[in-house]
Amino acid sequence: MRHATKVAAIVAAAALGLAACGSSDTPSTTSSDGATQPAAGGGEKLKVGMAYDVGGRGDQSFNDAAAKGLDKAKSELGVEGQEAAATNGEPESAREERLQQLIDAGYTNIVAVGFAYAPSVKKVAAENKDVKFALVDSTDAAGPNIENITFAENEGSFLVGAAAALKTKTNVIGFVGGVETPLIKKFEVGYIAGAKAVNPKIEVKVKYLTQPPDFSGFSSVDKGKAAAEGMYQQGADIVYHAAGGSGGGVFQAAKAAGKLAIGVDSDQALTADPSVRDVILTSMIKRVDVGVFDFIKSVKDGNFKAGEKVFDLKAGGVDYATTGGKIDDIKDKLDGYKQKIISGEIKVPAA
Amino acid sequence: MSISSDTVTRTRADESETLPSRWRRSTLLRAAVYAVGGLVVLSLVRVITGANDIDSSGALAAALALAAPIALAGLGGLWSERAGIVNIGLEGMMILGTWGGAFFAYHYGAWMGVLGAILLGAIGGAIHALATVIFGVDHIVSGVAINTLGAGAAAYLAARTFTGLPGGGPTQSPGLPDLPTVTIGPLADWLGNLEKGGTFLVADIASALRALVYHLSVLTIIVALLFVLTAWILWRTGFGLRLRSCGEAPTAAETLGVNVYRYKFVATVISGGLAGLGGGFLALVASGLYRDGQTGGRGFIGLAAMIFGNWRPGGLAGGAALFGYTDAINLRGGDDVIRAYLLPVAVFLLLWGVWQLRRRKQGKPITGVVSVIMALVVGAWFALMKAMPSEITQMTPYIATLLVLAFASQRLRMPKADGLIYRKGEAS
Repeated sequence: MRHATKVAAIVAAAALGLAACGSSDTPSTTSSDGATQPAAGGGEKLKVGMAYDVGGRGDQSFNDAAAKGLDKAKSELGVEGQEAAATNGEPESAREERLQQLIDAGYTNIVAVGFAYAPSVKKVAAENKDVKFALVDSTDAAGPNIENITFAENEGSFLVGAAAALKTKTNVIGFVGGVETPLIKKFEVGYIAGAKAVNPKIEVKVKYLTQPPDFSGFSSVDKGKAAAEGMYQQGADIVYHAAGGSGGGVFQAAKAAGKLAIGVDSDQALTADPSVRDVILTSMIKRVDVGVFDFIKSVKDGNFKAGEKVFDLKAGGVDYATTGGKIDDIKDKLDGYKQKIISGEIKVPAA
Repeated sequence: MSISSDTVTRTRADESETLPSRWRRSTLLRAAVYAVGGLVVLSLVRVITGANDIDSSGALAAALALAAPIALAGLGGLWSERAGIVNIGLEGMMILGTWGGAFFAYHYGAWMGVLGAILLGAIGGAIHALATVIFGVDHIVSGVAINTLGAGAAAYLAARTFTGLPGGGPTQSPGLPDLPTVTIGPLADWLGNLEKGGTFLVADIASALRALVYHLSVLTIIVALLFVLTAWILWRTGFGLRLRSCGEAPTAAETLGVNVYRYKFVATVISGGLAGLGGGFLALVASGLYRDGQTGGRGFIGLAAMIFGNWRPGGLAGGAALFGYTDAINLRGGDDVIRAYLLPVAVFLLLWGVWQLRRRKQGKPITGVVSVIMALVVGAWFALMKAMPSEITQMTPYIATLLVLAFASQRLRMPKADGLIYRKGEAS
């Protein structure tokens, strides 16, 4: 009987997986012995369900950073985790079902990674009032059981913008955004502000690959390449991307043109394809892992607080990377800006 | 009813058979006149407005790279639709091709990647053929199923095969080996200098040539050859005639002894192979890696290019080039280029309007007045703005498509039995 259920579950998972574009969103029910009672903060193991955005664990970027936070919580706080990922172009209902399945399997602390989860978190959170939610990158869903983890991407982008302005020889730099959403705009605004803080006369070329609701701009490597190629040919010598998977194309264009690029979200000089790592000047690091770990820890310690929690430069939520040693000579200046932002002397615009 | 339209097709075919050389010469001449005229206009606009990216070698090379996958998908559509099978599953076959190209290229080398892309696409085509030709499933239903299946299968296979490879992950492959590119060094440098000079017409010809001799992928050349080959096979061989007859009048073909099932099946498999190669181009040449969702609907755009190319290879190539060019201009931040295009549009409208007003007898004064007013509006827009708002630049590919379709849709004619389910022995 039990065997039959397991087989059925596996078959169903495989069928769903193929039909719903290879998603692995059915949490296997075999990992817990059918225990559905919500884990309290105390002696029992805390159960955390992670719902990733498109790409899932292993995307070398945004989702991987979130996964790192979970891994840290697993080893340091001894929590138990269950993971599921979204697929490209799935309907809204699929996201709701994913969250509900995690809850039904007993994972009553949910981390929803990515702003696309906002509507479904809003709905599922209202239906499951005893479940705690963390929603990364969005404040569009609010409730007594929702923590909104957001980052000051504009502050991190300010620093890499300043780095680009200090390093450019042509006084022309570029920005390639994946999709023109308010979130990506925040990267652009901070980047330009940082560059202008160093050199008010600098020219910044800006390009977004697609407009919402077309989100293919985050996975169109060839378009990222074409856009960056155009910028390099028109005089830019450093291009910053906030374009997810399309960023690989930006690095390729930089390599082909013998110019430089700036990575995003994680330290891409460590995570990008080995052949292009040497063109990465620095990266704007967004510590999603810090946010996720912080949420899990607060639940474990019993100080969960609903509402927005901003992880800014001061909280260590964003930073710039020094891997590769290309910005060692300007590190003092960048740290100067960093201190000024932390102290509030420089206010970085967000929109 | 069927008799009259048959006669029409036959007379048309007769004309082209009895006057092949004259027909071909006049078409070539016309194409040449268009090309030269277009180049002169382009060059004039460039010199007047200073929008150098309008035909820079970089923009043209990017346009070529962006057009090739669309063109291949469209070519795939052409093969199947000429045999009467509507192939809306091109996108799914393309996605299969991206995985096939990446997997085989990573493990066995770039050229095996090309074959792998064709193979995976052809498998998708074979499934479509099985459903539509053998089982008589509605073409659209089967095509939509292929799109879902292709995306799902590729995502699953990618997660199974690329996870854990250095630089790879469940949604992304490691960097792939490059296909060879063609560069004629000294010539490219010389042309590059000419292009930088910016002389009227000389620079434009130089940049067009430079796009062809600097880092041109061999796969792009193969794409061009595939167009020539397709045109030759479908319109100049007995095999092609029989294949097209399956798309125009399958029951008539059947009575003449053509094995319609076999032709439809073969055409659809070839169609899938070409779409798969389009996906392979995206993965191997344009991106250098596999990435989930990297086709971004280009299979459908290929289908659109084929339709406004009137189910013909030449028109299809033009359509794909238009998409590729507007895409490239947009991606390269061509706000000034799109603004520059307002100038010829204004001049054209003005001339057209004046001409309509001057020809008192046949002319249409209302059209003339409207044209002149439009010309003034567009001209003022051109004069007052330094660059097009980027929101409008982003829309250019779609606006261009709408305009072309609006002007060309009257003359479009699809294969007569396209999309109809054919059952053997049901001739009536």
